[in-house]
Amino acid sequence: MRNLIYAVLLSSAFNAYAGVSVIVHPSNGSSFDTSTINRIFTGKEKSFSNGNKAIPVSQEPGNPITDEFNSKALNKSSAQLKAYWSKLIFTGKGTPPKEVSNDAEVIKMVSANPDTIGFVSSDSVTDAVKVVQQF
Amino acid sequence: MKLKYTLLVTALASTTLHAEVNISGFASMTGGQVLSGSGVPQFGLEPTFLADYPIVSAYKEDLSFSPESLIGLQISSDLGEGLSVTGQIVARGANDYDAEFEWAYASYEINDNWTFQVGKKRLPLFYYSDFYDVGYAYVWMRAPADNYTWQIFNYEGANLLYSGAIGDWGISANVYTGREDDTENKLLSEFFFQTPTREIWEDILGGVVQLSYDWLELRVTHMRYTNKRFRNGEPELWNGKDSRDGKFYGLAANADFGNVFILSEFNRLDLDGDLDTYMISAGYRFDTITPYIMYSNFEQKDGDDPEKHDTRAVGVRWDFHPSAAFKVQYDKVEDDSTALAVAGDSESLTFGVDLVF
Repeated sequence: MRNLIYAVLLSSAFNAYAGVSVIVHPSNGSSFDTSTINRIFTGKEKSFSNGNKAIPVSQEPGNPITDEFNSKALNKSSAQLKAYWSKLIFTGKGTPPKEVSNDAEVIKMVSANPDTIGFVSSDSVTDAVKVVQQF
Repeated sequence: MKLKYTLLVTALASTTLHAEVNISGFASMTGGQVLSGSGVPQFGLEPTFLADYPIVSAYKEDLSFSPESLIGLQISSDLGEGLSVTGQIVARGANDYDAEFEWAYASYEINDNWTFQVGKKRLPLFYYSDFYDVGYAYVWMRAPADNYTWQIFNYEGANLLYSGAIGDWGISANVYTGREDDTENKLLSEFFFQTPTREIWEDILGGVVQLSYDWLELRVTHMRYTNKRFRNGEPELWNGKDSRDGKFYGLAANADFGNVFILSEFNRLDLDGDLDTYMISAGYRFDTITPYIMYSNFEQKDGDDPEKHDTRAVGVRWDFHPSAAFKVQYDKVEDDSTALAVAGDSESLTFGVDLVF
């Protein structure tokens, strides 16, 4: 009985959370780990390990996937991240990633430009992009 | 930050030039009052909490919203090929909301690592100097006043900026040079001397190195300058000379473990003797509520009656909105000098909202 409850709980948890996939252009052969992704999305690293310029693409703050990415990959709440970027914006030291409104737009941008990197819900991933990390 | 306007600027020639102009901004609406205080009877000063030295944000026993409230607008335009121009206009309650350009500079990105900037910028003496006005970017009501006591706030000159990484360490560094001629310095003219005082810092040369690794951040800085001062048009003399040299040293260390964070800063200004300041603060993030404590100290090392004061503060930041935070802070200041007293002892309460847009 207990196992059955666990199974139900687990499966519902998995249904609710597809997870976050970090995606790049299929031709991007650079190496990625959590620390690299964190540095690219916080403006501390400006290039991929293949030497190309890295252009991070984020999603709007209201999207659940954005909060999930911020907390899992960047270890920051939305408010902390906003405070972090305000410090850089108003001192001329950095610009936050461009924000688009949904997974489809991220996939469209990443599949069209080999310099971009984005994150989407794992459900939305298509063959047009390459997954380099999952959270 | 969400507000972005795109202006299409049509050039006079047949070609069309696209210049995207970004407007972003920040504001703080802050109120407060002195709950009890000694003032400085020998100077005829009523009970006062000097929350900020360079801007002279002084709270009295009546509730006031003007000392620290401000609104700032940043306008920047990317002209392409690495060139951009940025201006920051700030209107402060302490100056009757007269809007002034606090920053105005051109920036050229030489490559991914190096950027060259020229124009008017904030003098980056302290860890919080650069974003001092952007209350949303830090936890307290304000950066600790005992540390941020220097007269000169901005400078005009050139700045070379480096940003890079070694392994898992992020490195940013800059070297700057310039001067500032403040014809009527607010702190000296309105507060300390109460006569029109012109403050000049020239031959400024400074450097900053900042290292960050996951939970740890370190900042080391050094700056030297030559100080000249005119009170009522008369040159001030120090040991018979009309100028003196200052050397500034600073170290800041911050540790952030997710919920718990510790912030610290240690500074020394050698200006005919040492003036030491330090600050230590800690806080805990309970989701959107962040209570914190802070202690800051200023101590002049030489003399029989040196300038000496410290502040104990406790407060809460509440991120009640995606772009705004409410803060409330209690400050207890002890001023231990007589001839060099600043504003006397005080206990005060300040509260307000910081936002970015």
